[in-house]
Order: sequence, then structure tokens, then C-alpha cells
Amino acid sequence: MIRDVSLIWQNADRLLDGLTNTVILSLVGATLALVFGALVAIALMASNRAVRLTSRGLVDLMRCVPFLMLVYLVYYGLPRLGLRFDSWTAGLVAIVIYNTAYMAEIIRGIWSRLERETIEAGIAFGFHGWKLVARIVMPQIFLAAAPMIGNQLIQIIKDTAFLTIIAVPELTHAANSIQAQYFIPFATFLSAVLLYWALCMVVELGVFVVERIAEKRR
Amino acid sequence: MTFNAFLSLLHGAGVTVSVSMAGIALGVPFGLVLALLRWRRVPLLAPLTTVYVSLLRSTPAVTLCLLIFFALPVIGIEIDALSAAIATLALNTAAFNCEIWRSGLTSFPREQVEAARTFGMSGTLIFRRIIFPQLWRTCLPALVNEMTLLIKSSTAIAVIGVAEITRAAIRIGAQTYDPLPPMLVATGIYVVLVLVFVGIQRLTERLYGQAGGAR
Amino acid sequence: MTEAATETRDPPVLEISGLTKTFGDRIVLDGVSLSVARGQTVCLLGPSGSGKSTLLRCVNWLETPDQGAIYLSGERMGIRKGGVVPMGNGELARLRMRMGTVFQHFNLWPHMSVLQNIIEAPIHVQKRRRDEVIAEAEALLENVGLSDKRDAFPSRLSGGQKQRVGIARALAMKPELLLFDEPTSALDPELVGEVIAVMKTLSQGGSTMLVVTHEMGFARETADKVVLMDAGRIVEEGEPEVFFGRPKTERARQFLQRYVSA
Repeated sequence: MIRDVSLIWQNADRLLDGLTNTVILSLVGATLALVFGALVAIALMASNRAVRLTSRGLVDLMRCVPFLMLVYLVYYGLPRLGLRFDSWTAGLVAIVIYNTAYMAEIIRGIWSRLERETIEAGIAFGFHGWKLVARIVMPQIFLAAAPMIGNQLIQIIKDTAFLTIIAVPELTHAANSIQAQYFIPFATFLSAVLLYWALCMVVELGVFVVERIAEKRR
Repeated sequence: MTFNAFLSLLHGAGVTVSVSMAGIALGVPFGLVLALLRWRRVPLLAPLTTVYVSLLRSTPAVTLCLLIFFALPVIGIEIDALSAAIATLALNTAAFNCEIWRSGLTSFPREQVEAARTFGMSGTLIFRRIIFPQLWRTCLPALVNEMTLLIKSSTAIAVIGVAEITRAAIRIGAQTYDPLPPMLVATGIYVVLVLVFVGIQRLTERLYGQAGGAR
Repeated sequence: MTEAATETRDPPVLEISGLTKTFGDRIVLDGVSLSVARGQTVCLLGPSGSGKSTLLRCVNWLETPDQGAIYLSGERMGIRKGGVVPMGNGELARLRMRMGTVFQHFNLWPHMSVLQNIIEAPIHVQKRRRDEVIAEAEALLENVGLSDKRDAFPSRLSGGQKQRVGIARALAMKPELLLFDEPTSALDPELVGEVIAVMKTLSQGGSTMLVVTHEMGFARETADKVVLMDAGRIVEEGEPEVFFGRPKTERARQFLQRYVSA
């Protein structure tokens, strides 16, 4: 056991490289998904029936598909249509596409429960279009959505582990390669699990902080 | 894509469904046990459960699957891929089910328990005759929702070579050098599976959602 | 019925003519005509469901009337010149920013502090200079007696304080017309007075105001004109002394009996 721990210690930089990739993929993926998700949410709330139903259908479809399936479609499927990515980019693209649907649904859910009146006040004071959405609607949504966005970020962090299957050098991949080299599966995977745990704790702490800020503003 | 290929995708779907069902069959009661430990504040076990839930909820299914499959033999427990797959899904879903059961328990009306106690019912009797018959109705919609999530995360077991849907699709794609058709069919199968579960969930919500709600 | 402005020869600040609005098969407004001259305070009275609030929402074009027209200082609201093509959101916004609205339920933006609520629209809709707007907002807060709440968030304020912020927010637009939609009916009785006091000051200071209210005292003492609505129509209108002292219609007498004694 002591030997295992010292081997892990010697290979800590490999685990940390994996962790860094996991963090970058999760954060960049979540941020882009949030931005696109907000746009899709606008489509989900559109008054135009065709726009609304189309976006609804796409979001529902995406939420039926396992993340790994989408990863395969992006990594192995899209090259057939002439779009070729390296595995890292394919992983990021899959994270963004997949979570755009979830973020859109989170935002739409809160939007539809948002008090109509504060939006109406915005309209009465001459806000319209993009500015109404950006200054009156979205800030309220994001404050209310923080816990759910946090949960989704945790889901994204966990989903990045699937990317080991297409050989993206994230945390689980790093752990797997260390254990394959030294045959110390217990220590390596346990280290990875603890690192995931710590990561999720950080996210929950962040949500807690945002919650405290939001508490005053509702 | 040949008919045989389609059959092996269906076989993969069979594996996905049966492994998931096994995971659910083990994970749902295990989750209830964990929830009861926390609810009754059993010394030592209750805090351990808290740690277990927190840890498992932040562990990716893929990582957990690798841990179970590769690490258990090292400490002397031989395990085949299929059992490791079922264990992964059961341990993972139990953590989430624990939270569902627990929220049902904490919102259970105290007066009913107190009433039962005045009639001289013992703790286990109260749980069996008063709490559980109402609890499972309250929790069912959320439990079915968690089952839908489990179906989707069951793809993780492909990492240790279990021939479920995604792995079947990849293999057919590799054999035919045309990965897109089997993947699209596989995607279709998942959509059907998930829609079935969503349908069941809506049904349970209609049947029990309001009737068993915290009153 | 078009009543000419009483004191000046400018077009009235607000002119409503023949306004009709239905929800499904329910007629909410049935040919309402009304005008508010510069500096006037007009109080709209009537039992709930009589269409007062809908009328106010139509003035803002938050509801689109079925028939009739609304003019803000002579400019047609909601319909482009020519009288057929409906205005786009941008055009509506340019007219809306010339009115200030005070809502029954305050409708402050919960994610912004008191000061931010007040300066938000002047800066981002009217595109005025930030430092100038802030200075004005601080003066307004002083006028409504809330200087110390400058950086508080709405959730920390009492109803009366919220509504005074709501009034300051409306005033910050330097509006030609102030619209009040039952500004005190969501308030606890002991908080009504502080809001009414601010409104009286505004009225005496020459603001042009259209006020939907159940506060008969305010109407009697402050209004230049009182309008009674019932079932989507104007039943009676006139100077407050006449309306409250010698109402002309039976409906007005009934209404006053029920509401003034209560």
C-alpha cells in the first residue's frame, strides 16, 4: 500500500495533467453550453410556433440520447459528413452540443416561472428585444438558476470521464494509463475518485456563494 | 447495415436493459437502506452513509466501473465484467435513490407517526404498515426519473468490454467501415427506451404524484 | 366624446378616443374616451373589474386595444402614421420611454439595487449620461425620503418603501405623463399614507398624472378631474367637488355610498 501511494506520488503530474484537462473541458464546455443554451431557450420561448416546436423537438431528442452515444456520433460519425476533429475537440464539441439542450431546458423552466410583472415593467420603461432579455430577463434567470447550473456542471465533470473511451487525456484516462503501467488500480482510481469529489465540492461551494448573493435579490 | 448487424444491436439493447434492470433491482432497495440509516441517525453508519452518497454522486460511472473491475481482483475478489457492470450501476444509482427516499422520509407527516405510536405500534411496524405504503408512492416518480438517467449512464459499462448498445454499434461500424448507420439505429433504440421510461414516469406521476404527496 | 384641454391650446398630453378591448367574448373596454391636459391629475375610479387597469395597460400598449386611438402629446400610440400598420417594438419603446409607470405590485427588478432600479432605463433606454442620471436619481431618492436605501435590494424594503422607489424610478424617465395603477392597493393600510404624500407633492408640483385608485381622499383633495368607470364605460366625469358632492348619475351615487363610507 505504501508502495502504491509513493508510485501515485511519483506520477502525480500525470494525474494533475488529466485533472487540468477535465477542468478545462468542463469549464469551457459548460460556458459555451450556457451561452448557446440561453439562445436556444429564447427559441423555446419564441412566439413563433414553428421555431418553438422545432427547438422543443431537438432539445427533447438530445435529452433522450446517452452522452457517450453523442460522443461517438461526433467522433466517428461526423467525419463521414466531412467534419473531422481530433479526439479532444470532438469531446468538447460533444459536451457543448449535449449540454446546450440541458442548459436551455434549465433556463426555459425558470424563465416560464419568472414573474411576468418585472418583465412587463421593463417593457413599460421602454426596454425591448435583445436589451430586455439581456438586462431584465437573463440576470434574474441566472441568479435563480445557479443551483441547477451547478448541478449540470457536476454532471458535465462526470461526463468528461466518458471521453477516455475516445482517448481524450482527461483524469480517468490518466488514471487508467498509470494503473495499466504499474498494476496499482485501487490506489490510482481511488485517487481519481477523490479528485472528482474535490472538484464537485468546489462547484458546490461556488453555488453556495452565488446563492448567498441571490438570496438578497429576490 | 445488414439484418445481422441490426440483430446484434438488438442484442446490445437486451444487455443494456437487463444490466440496468439488475442495477435498479439492487440499487433501489440499497438506497432505501442507506436513507433509513441516515433518517434514524444510526451512530457511525449514518455519517458513513453521508460520505458514501456525497462521494458516489461525484464519481463518474466510467471511473467507478474501472475501479470495481480492476481493483476488486487486486484485493482478492474475482469479478467478471458483467457483475462489475451491475455492481457499478447499483452502487451509483443507490446514492441518488438514497436522496430520493430520504427527502420522502423527511417530508413524511410527523403526526401520523405519533398517532401510530399512541396505538402502541413499534418502530418497524410503523415503518412497514404506515410509512412505507405511502412513501413508495411519493417517491416513485422521482425513482423512475432516476432510472431514466441510469439507462443513459449505463453506456459507461462499455469501458470494460460489456457488449451493450454503444459497444455493439462501434463494433458493427468498425466491421463495415460505415459507422454512421449503426450509430443512428443505436440512437433510435435509446430514444425508444428513454421515451418508454418517460411514459412510465408520467403515468406514475398521474397515479401517485398528487395522491401520495406530502399532506 | 372629445373633451378639449381646459387650460392650454397644446394637444393634451394624453388623448384616448373610442377605445374598445375584448378578452374572448368579454368586453372590457367599451368605447372609452378621455383626455389629460398638461399639469392635470386625473383619477380613474370604479369597482374592480370595471376596466380601469386595462385602460392603463392599453395606454402603455401592454395590451393592444381592438379599436380606438391613443395619442401621447398628439402622437398616435401603437400605430404608425397612416393609421394601419402596427408599430414595432422599437417604435413602441420610444413612446413608452416618454411615460412613467407605477405598478400596483411595484414590479421592481429584484436583481438590482434601489439606485440601479432607478438609473437602469434612463441609462440603457434613454441613453443619457451615467453621472448625470445618478445625480438625478440621488436627488429623487432624497425627495421620496429614501436616500439611506440607495444600495439596498428591493426584497429588503417595506411595501411603502418599494412603492416610493417605484415612483422615483418612473420620475427618473422625466416622463411627460405618469401612470399610476392602483399604487396603494397592495400596501398595508399604515403604509398607504407615505405613498399618497409623495403623489400629492408630485401633483402639486405640476406633474401630469393619470391615477387608477381606490383612495377617495386622494381623489377628492388632489384630482383636477375624477372619472368613474363601470363595466368598461365611463359613467361620469367631472371636478371632484361636483363628483363627490353632487353626483349626476345614479351609478355614481351607488358607488360613492359603498366606497366612501367604507
